[in-house]
Amino acid sequence: MNVASRDRILAGIRAALPVRSVERASADYQQIQRSYIRTVVRNSSECTALLVERLREYGAEVAEATPSDIVSVLSAQLRASGGSTFAAPPDLPLEWRVPGFEWLIDDGLSYEQLDKVDGVVTTASCAVADSGTIVLHHGSAEGRRALTLLPDWHLCVVRASQLVETLPEYFSRFPHAPQLATYISGPSATADIEMTRIKGVHGPRFLHVIILRDVS
Amino acid sequence: MKGPESLARNKPPRVQLDPRFAPPFPQAALPVLRNTQLRKNVAHAIDVIQSKRARLVEEKADWEELRAAASDLRAHVLDNLGHYLEEFESQCTAAGGHVHWAADGTEARRIVLEIIRQKNANEVIKIKTMTSAEIQLNLFLEQAGIAAHETDLAEIILQLGGEAPSHIVVPALHVNRSQVRDIFAQRMGLPDLSDDPQALTAAARTYLRKLFLTVPVAISGANHLIAETGGVVIVESEGNGRMCLTLPQTLIAIAGIEKVIPRFQDLEVLLQVLARSATGERMNPYTSVWSGVKPGDGPQNFHVVLLDNGRSDMLRRPVERQTLKCIRCAACMNACPVYRQTGGHAYGSVYPGPIGAILTPQLQRLEHAQSLPYASSLCGACYEVCPVKINIPEVLIELRAQVTNREREEPRRFFDPLYLGLRIASFILASPRRLRLAQRLGRIVARLFASRDGWIHVLPGYGARWTRTRDLRGVPSQTFREWWSTRNKGEQ
Repeated sequence: MNVASRDRILAGIRAALPVRSVERASADYQQIQRSYIRTVVRNSSECTALLVERLREYGAEVAEATPSDIVSVLSAQLRASGGSTFAAPPDLPLEWRVPGFEWLIDDGLSYEQLDKVDGVVTTASCAVADSGTIVLHHGSAEGRRALTLLPDWHLCVVRASQLVETLPEYFSRFPHAPQLATYISGPSATADIEMTRIKGVHGPRFLHVIILRDVS
Repeated sequence: MKGPESLARNKPPRVQLDPRFAPPFPQAALPVLRNTQLRKNVAHAIDVIQSKRARLVEEKADWEELRAAASDLRAHVLDNLGHYLEEFESQCTAAGGHVHWAADGTEARRIVLEIIRQKNANEVIKIKTMTSAEIQLNLFLEQAGIAAHETDLAEIILQLGGEAPSHIVVPALHVNRSQVRDIFAQRMGLPDLSDDPQALTAAARTYLRKLFLTVPVAISGANHLIAETGGVVIVESEGNGRMCLTLPQTLIAIAGIEKVIPRFQDLEVLLQVLARSATGERMNPYTSVWSGVKPGDGPQNFHVVLLDNGRSDMLRRPVERQTLKCIRCAACMNACPVYRQTGGHAYGSVYPGPIGAILTPQLQRLEHAQSLPYASSLCGACYEVCPVKINIPEVLIELRAQVTNREREEPRRFFDPLYLGLRIASFILASPRRLRLAQRLGRIVARLFASRDGWIHVLPGYGARWTRTRDLRGVPSQTFREWWSTRNKGEQ
């Protein structure tokens, strides 16, 4: 690394501005007015309804399930996809690896293997209703980033207890930043040709979400 | 079908967006104004984004509060830029990343090339990045024998078609579907390709999939750098970004030094304003956040290049400093009545539109691109939509003042009719006696050219520039002050 450039750039920045202490900077940071909406107005079922509406608007498939029928809902979705080989992160609940399909557990599968599977089933860390966003922090039941990227079909199970209404609510629920995060708002899309929205460029073209009602 | 390797060698774009050599804005705008197809393409794209943005801003009850917070946040970063950059550097390094500092484009290009050479790579895949375009990285890499593959759909269209970008978010908005079809059909060897956007997008998917899986080095920009965590944020739609950020062994992110934000949580403001302003979406399909290197997931070799390239100089000036608050959403160019007519190429820079009109001349230290601060009607539409409240008209006026001050000092401009006229005017207006004399003289001279109807229809020489397209009212027989003094006498 070129230390001279580093010092020169920082010296240039410091010469341009009155020098402030770190304490002063953090006091100033606290003073930033945050009068935007940070409180929650919807109840749990209204939140779920909003998430479903947003996801469908993006072109994602949405289903709801309860702890007692999750396996059959999953099974129906897998069958409907027409695929036979599915990938799963190491800590996906065992019973969700529905029999009748071939399951590849991602304990370091090659990218070529991931590219060839018909789909992938994972959990999520959170879902934001207002923006229709699925949040992955890439833990052991969500899988590493490549797992939910290379297969063309992604089924994500979100628990109702993981649902938040707004983006600020997500950030207050996770005050400590994860090392990796991916926010997915609908399937891959582009509008680069004449502003016509086309679903599915490089990421999974098919996004399925099951909302699992784990709270009454 | 030709292999991707043969496609990578590209003809350079017909329009070179280098402010050092670009013609002045009014001259560069002429060919576009005559190109009705291009104007139609630009207007269509802008109308679509504008109406989507307007609808989503309307539905957001706390839009103005979000804007205020975003603006304060970005201003706060600039006030404390040194602290936050050092914090970012130490956090990113602690997470396993390597941080490089580049004083200018030359240094940034050299750093990038060294990393690529260390990895023995002869090709790289790229996410759309404005900083790399700013330092003209692709051209440099090609000359060094390294193929740089763009992976954003719009960037592929431009790269394969030998076109220059004309917008910072939708760079190929000036190209329509049949033009895209022709480019893809020819360059990808697919003569039967239809001009349906779905088919064109599918062709790009197939073309790139192999590159994503095989090319060992990726280059990205950064939407934000998070000081608190050393994290980098990339906002995108297609998934080409996620591919580049995840699959190669080595990743190089080039980011302007102003891109840093204090905390992870600040994304709750910026992510809410960015997508709405840029593409008129509540959220863009994919946002990636990562800090350094995570074993077993993604690139194990990660570099950030912090690019100054004129930015620390901009901090010095209290009015112009706000330019650095920009989060590159392009709402200003979508709202601009001038951009709507001329498109992006007329600006002669990778940063077009109102933000380009203030950013480019400053990055060039006003040595080039002096016509850009005038490429605006000062209507203020850009300021109104800016999610971080950059007062672009204010900066435009400040830059115009600087351009004028510089120009009139130049010896060759001494007899420039504009400055000559202004000097004479200043001399005359400094004394009431001189003004009276000049008015009398003017009356006599104007009478020579006036027709019987009292109007001047034709002027010789320099004055003809006015009368060619409009008439000039003749000078009245009495000035206001003459009339005022006779009126007073009459009353006494």
